[in-house]
Amino acid sequence: MSDRWEVRRIEDIGAFIDPARARWHPIRTELGLGAFGVNAWRATEAGQELIGEHDEVGGGAGRHEELYLVLSGHATFTVDGETVDAPAGQLVFVGDPEVKRSATAEEAGTTVLVAGGKRGEPFAVSPWERYAEGLQFFVTKEYDRALEFFERAHREAPEQAGVLYNLACAESLLGQPDDALAHLAQAIELSPSFREAAQTDSDFHPIRADPRFDGVAG
Amino acid sequence: MKPWDTAALAEIEDLPGPGTLRWTPVRRHFDVRAFGVNAYTATEVGQDVVEEHTEESLGHEELYVVVAGHARFTLDGEEVDAPAGTLVYLRDPTVRRAAVAVDAPTTLLALGGKPGEAYSVSGWEFWFAATAKGESGDHEAAIAEIDAGFEHHPEHPMLFYQRACWEALAGRSEDALADLNRSVALGGEKFREYASDDEDLDSIRADPRFPA
Repeated sequence: MSDRWEVRRIEDIGAFIDPARARWHPIRTELGLGAFGVNAWRATEAGQELIGEHDEVGGGAGRHEELYLVLSGHATFTVDGETVDAPAGQLVFVGDPEVKRSATAEEAGTTVLVAGGKRGEPFAVSPWERYAEGLQFFVTKEYDRALEFFERAHREAPEQAGVLYNLACAESLLGQPDDALAHLAQAIELSPSFREAAQTDSDFHPIRADPRFDGVAG
Repeated sequence: MKPWDTAALAEIEDLPGPGTLRWTPVRRHFDVRAFGVNAYTATEVGQDVVEEHTEESLGHEELYVVVAGHARFTLDGEEVDAPAGTLVYLRDPTVRRAAVAVDAPTTLLALGGKPGEAYSVSGWEFWFAATAKGESGDHEAAIAEIDAGFEHHPEHPMLFYQRACWEALAGRSEDALADLNRSVALGGEKFREYASDDEDLDSIRADPRFPA
């Protein structure tokens, strides 16, 4: 390793957001890439969701073109409603940010690499990457660590709706209703799709009975 | 532009790269515009999977992913073992880099771009493709490949130089002389040096307009 180059194994880069789900290898974050986004996802068992259904126009997305490559194993992609059989070596390119895409693993150990960037613009980190790492603390119920993570992320990206939403979740779970409602209101103002999410999100159970909740997310 | 597309890496037509390299032009195949992406394959042990180069002219950072097989990189003279699943990230464009296959076949995916700038299609893609076509004897197809490059880089001295070579080989002396002089005007003395011993240009070397 040097400050001029770095050599790593994909499997050595990683974080479980949720032990029951595919493992995330945050390659761009770990290496500090500045020109494009790169991540890999590895399924721990057959049938596991590898790439959650998403488009690249939602609140956490960067309007990226995305290129997927199945590095090992066997995946099935669903792109714009169409099923794509994707054994190792298959490439799937989604140029249109509005197209919905997802993938599941047909075999344990299936690994998919994905690279992304926005056509015609310098690379900027997708908002979701800023908060994905903090989601593991909800799974492990370490809400104080979630709060710490999202407070820091919020200082770094004050206008990021996904960060505000998750900060509100942590505050709700920690019994801080005033902060939770204020941050949830800001998240919904920036990205109205969070209103619907908040209505069914169990993280807001502690504050759902608060008379102010319906005014914010009702 | 198709909203999305899919292809097996092995199905994309590969082209001869410099030396023994086989180049799978992934970016060109899908028309990816946000970053550079290509695959390279060596079919025999000892063959190149990355030709020796730096990224100084483009300022790109590069990420190589060893997709299959086993490669050995040489980075500024230092050897790096790289079996399948290895990532080699070169943040500094001045690092001199190369890789050969330790097992065969070995395939790498190479991703590149310049931090802080919107990606633009690299000029080399056009002269690599032109070389593949021209060396199979179709000089006019090679010229057409270079012409496509000018849509992205209208003032690229190497594109003028490469087109001059194919025009000279195609017997289009007037076009070749004009393009060769344009490459020297835009790119400077090093293009005069390239021309001084480039056999592709022998058919126009005696012309008084040849940049001596």
